[in-house]
Amino acid sequence: MALRPSSPASSLFSKKKQPLTTAASYLSAVHEADQHARARSIDRSSSPTPNSTPALSLSSSVTASSEDTVLHEDDESGLNYPWTPPTSEQVFSTVHTEFGHCANESYRCVSQHDYANPVKEKEIEEPPYYILITTYLSYLILICFGHVRDFFGKRFAKKYFTHVMSHKGYAALNSDFDSFYTRRLKARMDDCFSQPITGVAGRTVVTLDRYSTDNNWTQIYTGTKTRVLNISSYNYLGFAQARGGCADAVEESIKRFGISTCGSRLQGGTGELHGVAEALVAKFVGMEDALISSMGFATNSTFIPALVGKGCLVISDELNHASIRTGVRQSGAQVRMFKHNDMENLENLLRDVISQGQPRTHRPWRKILIIVEGLYSMEGTLVNLPRIIELKRKYKFYLFIDEAHSIGALGPHGRGVCDYFGINPRDVDVLMGTFTKSFGAAGGYIAGPKTLIDALRLRGQSGAYAESMPPPVLTQVMASMASIMGVAPPTSQSSKSGVMSTPSSTSTLRLGYIESEEHPCPAPASAIPSWLSLPPHLQDGSEGRTRLRRLAFNSRYLHAGLSKLGFITYGHPFSPIVPLLIFNPGKMSMFARMMRARSTPIVVVVVAYPATPLVTSRVRFCVSAAHTKEDIDVVLRACDEIGDVLDLKHSHGERWAVDEICKRSVELVEGVAAVQAA
Amino acid sequence: MENALPSSSVSSTLEPVLALLAYSLTKLETGFYQIPGSAVVARYVKSSHQNDPGRTILEVILIIFAIRTLLQSRTRSDRGGKHYIQFGDKEVDELVDEWTPEPLAQPLTEWEQKELASIPVIAGPNGPKPKLVSTGKTVTNLASYNFTGLAGNEHIKERAVDTLRKYGLGSCGPPGFYGTIDVHMDLEKDIAEFLGAEAAILYSQGYSTVSSVIPAFCKRGDIIVADRGVNYAIQKGIQLSRSTVRWFDHNDLRSLEDALQAVERDRKKRKGPLTRRFIITEGIFERDGEMVDLPKIIELKNKYKYRLILDESISFGTVGRTGRGLTELYNVPASQIDMLVGSVANGLCSSGGFCAGSTIVVEHQRINGTSFVFSASMPALLAVSGSEAITYLRNTPSTLSALQENIRALRAVLEKTEGIAILGHRASPIVHFSLRSVAPASLSPASAATPAGKESFDVDGEERILQEIVEDALANGVMLTRAKYLRKQEMFEPRPTIRIAMTSALTRKEVEKAAGVVKASIARVLSRRR
Ligand SMILES: Cc1ncc(COP(=O)(O)O)c(C=O)c1O
Repeated sequence: MALRPSSPASSLFSKKKQPLTTAASYLSAVHEADQHARARSIDRSSSPTPNSTPALSLSSSVTASSEDTVLHEDDESGLNYPWTPPTSEQVFSTVHTEFGHCANESYRCVSQHDYANPVKEKEIEEPPYYILITTYLSYLILICFGHVRDFFGKRFAKKYFTHVMSHKGYAALNSDFDSFYTRRLKARMDDCFSQPITGVAGRTVVTLDRYSTDNNWTQIYTGTKTRVLNISSYNYLGFAQARGGCADAVEESIKRFGISTCGSRLQGGTGELHGVAEALVAKFVGMEDALISSMGFATNSTFIPALVGKGCLVISDELNHASIRTGVRQSGAQVRMFKHNDMENLENLLRDVISQGQPRTHRPWRKILIIVEGLYSMEGTLVNLPRIIELKRKYKFYLFIDEAHSIGALGPHGRGVCDYFGINPRDVDVLMGTFTKSFGAAGGYIAGPKTLIDALRLRGQSGAYAESMPPPVLTQVMASMASIMGVAPPTSQSSKSGVMSTPSSTSTLRLGYIESEEHPCPAPASAIPSWLSLPPHLQDGSEGRTRLRRLAFNSRYLHAGLSKLGFITYGHPFSPIVPLLIFNPGKMSMFARMMRARSTPIVVVVVAYPATPLVTSRVRFCVSAAHTKEDIDVVLRACDEIGDVLDLKHSHGERWAVDEICKRSVELVEGVAAVQAA
Repeated sequence: MENALPSSSVSSTLEPVLALLAYSLTKLETGFYQIPGSAVVARYVKSSHQNDPGRTILEVILIIFAIRTLLQSRTRSDRGGKHYIQFGDKEVDELVDEWTPEPLAQPLTEWEQKELASIPVIAGPNGPKPKLVSTGKTVTNLASYNFTGLAGNEHIKERAVDTLRKYGLGSCGPPGFYGTIDVHMDLEKDIAEFLGAEAAILYSQGYSTVSSVIPAFCKRGDIIVADRGVNYAIQKGIQLSRSTVRWFDHNDLRSLEDALQAVERDRKKRKGPLTRRFIITEGIFERDGEMVDLPKIIELKNKYKYRLILDESISFGTVGRTGRGLTELYNVPASQIDMLVGSVANGLCSSGGFCAGSTIVVEHQRINGTSFVFSASMPALLAVSGSEAITYLRNTPSTLSALQENIRALRAVLEKTEGIAILGHRASPIVHFSLRSVAPASLSPASAATPAGKESFDVDGEERILQEIVEDALANGVMLTRAKYLRKQEMFEPRPTIRIAMTSALTRKEVEKAAGVVKASIARVLSRRR
């Protein structure tokens, strides 16, 4: 709370090269430290490092960025050009600002569960008591101040308070605690939320600079832009790109199919691409059939009511996403929650509910559906799938996994938690996921047995009422998915080389699902439309594999690095979501502002109550395959310095200096498993 | 902002902390009075208490409640409950073994399978004359929502490609976390200016918009007065809000006024506190094309002091001189409508939905609109397509008059067709028609016994006849669709209809020809039936 949101007078938004004379002392300290850090990293990068392996070979180099993707800025921040310039034989197919160039093959890893040496999630570490107390006190003070301001405001500044008071016979539009919380607590750090951007939310992103002169009531845009390192978007595999094979495919599809399909799936809005994409998704996740919906949130909120209803029970992890809760509430089924990822608690609950039956009547439940997420978006925790599958065999419930964050991001083949644990996806009843994250698209899918999916096509709300997914989005899904899978060369001259050429196929919503012997396998050439031609490095799946392995490395590196720096982090050490605990609400906004004020500005996501429990405010990093190892170094150095200033390092584990961490990164990442197992 | 559930993982450590906290608080209090100026604060607390004791109590309760939820395990079972039966471990195992759940989904019935197989799949781009995958033939499209003929607009496609090359496709984040792109803000501004509202907020799916807007404002204990004929999304929104609902007869403002008076009487009788009250209805009803009398409803809402949530998903982009919707048609300022919900997908041929209103109303949703907060923002190129569509509508009023002319041409033919009843307002871009006479009872006697609403009709029988008409028309080159519903889940079972979506992209001649085909199909099918 000490630091007011920045105004133009403070140097936060002024040109970074100016001396920070007017800023608070911490700022100049940070700045100075930053300069040192930068000097160091330049030294480091200029020393010759053996980089001989070409990461990707492609005829046309896109290293030189076009005007669209690069602001006219001097490369002070190290964001536009790689620290290590590529050698002549290294050819990159991506724009560095969107997807970082990294040719070092040692910065790669495989995301896979090792049953012999399982990696355990870290024990949840508690901060010292004084941190908890000051955190509670902060909230107390904030609440008191809020009430004082409300008290005077409602009397002397009525016009700003009409919506929270009843007036002229209308009840207050929003008067409850939520509203108080938003106005009096969240508004103080609104500058850390909803920051508008422009361009691609890739490895870097361009933010529109803004400031507020009225305590975040309104934001004033300066018209200037800043390129920042983006470790916040759900861009796990780095497919948020305006250039490259996927974008080319999307452009082609816009020309061929236009923007819209004009209607719901059942009422004149089904195009040929829907069926093709659904068959591909089913192949990708290893299910019999799949159904696509134009919004990830709506996939949960409109299909869950079609799965369960009165007399059914939903058992839901307590930290499940709002979309799941919306769906369950619409369904009319009973809900019970179990403690986050606590399998013992779940089993007890199962024994309880099955033996008791429905409340009062004790009739047996019609069915029980357990809904869990693959990877939890606020905690970075991974569902204990092997155990749940064991329980499922015994207790006969149905299992629904929301793979919004895990699909693409986990597993040696990017096929999500099942792939990570080496579990047959058909052991799960319903796999749901979204395309907004790893695939750089929008919308969601739900996959399962054909009878089930067919039923959902007709009996889910989306089919009859919701707009269907637009062709460009479908194309992005197909192109990114095919480049993760790799496309198998056509075996024989198959008759189904493209949909356009099969006018004789029956008029159904989907193409016949081609049963595969083994999963995960590459996409058959017949599974993508013939006009969708991917460049060779995407077509053969080599880039997809590289992306998966870069993501795995980056995730492990950031987790391990932050722990070694002494921060309390949550979540699975392999998860691309890395929450760093901050606790104090005031420090949260400071953290975000200080990250942005660095010479290599970084944007982060900070979250607090009500998204998290009151005390465990946190910053959440989302690692991407688009980040280079140097980007993670930059983040670690920034956290190191800010962590010292804000007193955030409360972990009891072994600590390393940040230089040591950066130098021994590969060792650190490879050691994750070994150290954990020991 | 993603998972709004406070967890209880910290509960065990909290107790000593709270003890400590209480101790330090007493310490603090003694210290407090030594601070200069502390008396002022103390006086404030006292006077606030004096002014509004209820409020202080409420706040104390809130704090206690917050602490309680933090401490309480959310997973506690109702073990103490009086219906709880104690079982031994063995017994539980037996019960588990005995229990056989129903299948997750009932397989499709034969009729449902036929329905699924009958959905036309469009090859290539959709538009007024798309090609079908099944036959390879071109048909006249009277089924898809392409009201102002924007599907396939070359300029919009160009702009979309430009946007793709600058922004990529996905936004990769919810609006709160770096998912707000400048083009989203531009489209919000464009919509607000187009309608003449103060502000607007963009949702990434049209269907999910209104079911998120309603629970953002209507809470438990609030009163909703809603039309019986509202679409399914509104019904779900009302269900999620947990408010008290009163239904009034479909598009009957007399019945609305009765309901409003009844609520008022109720409140006077119970001397309850002032609660939020909302009227929820549609501009043009999705299920039958009726149009609401906007000036009258605004008069009522002002008289009885209600807020109005108006769903213009069909009317936005299709009626009024330039497609601004009912506000333009009736010349009512948009500021009179508290929450004006519309669709970018339907009217602007892109994707997504919006809610326009005052700044307060819009900003409130940025934190409380669940499907806004918890979902990724829409792809940039779709937002730009929406903006371009608005520019197009502004500059080309002739599109709207062409649409209206086509509607008149269609209705003129259908009105002369025997055996059907045309529903809805004459300006509505969607034209529903149902069968006129009740289908012969012999078709499906079972379902004839379920009366819904005022008239009774045989859902299954009528749907079968209408489906025959759809298929006959398709064989003759006109694509139609039955209006699809989640049968038995709609609050009030709608009568089966065929729903025609008119477009300005067809010439008057083409419309007349297509209408002629529909007319012939109706005649053929009905005569076959008799
Ligand atoms: C677990 C989970 N499910 C569903 C969604 C909603 O997906 P979308 O953003 O595509 O609407 C999210 C997104 O944040 C999520 O985290």
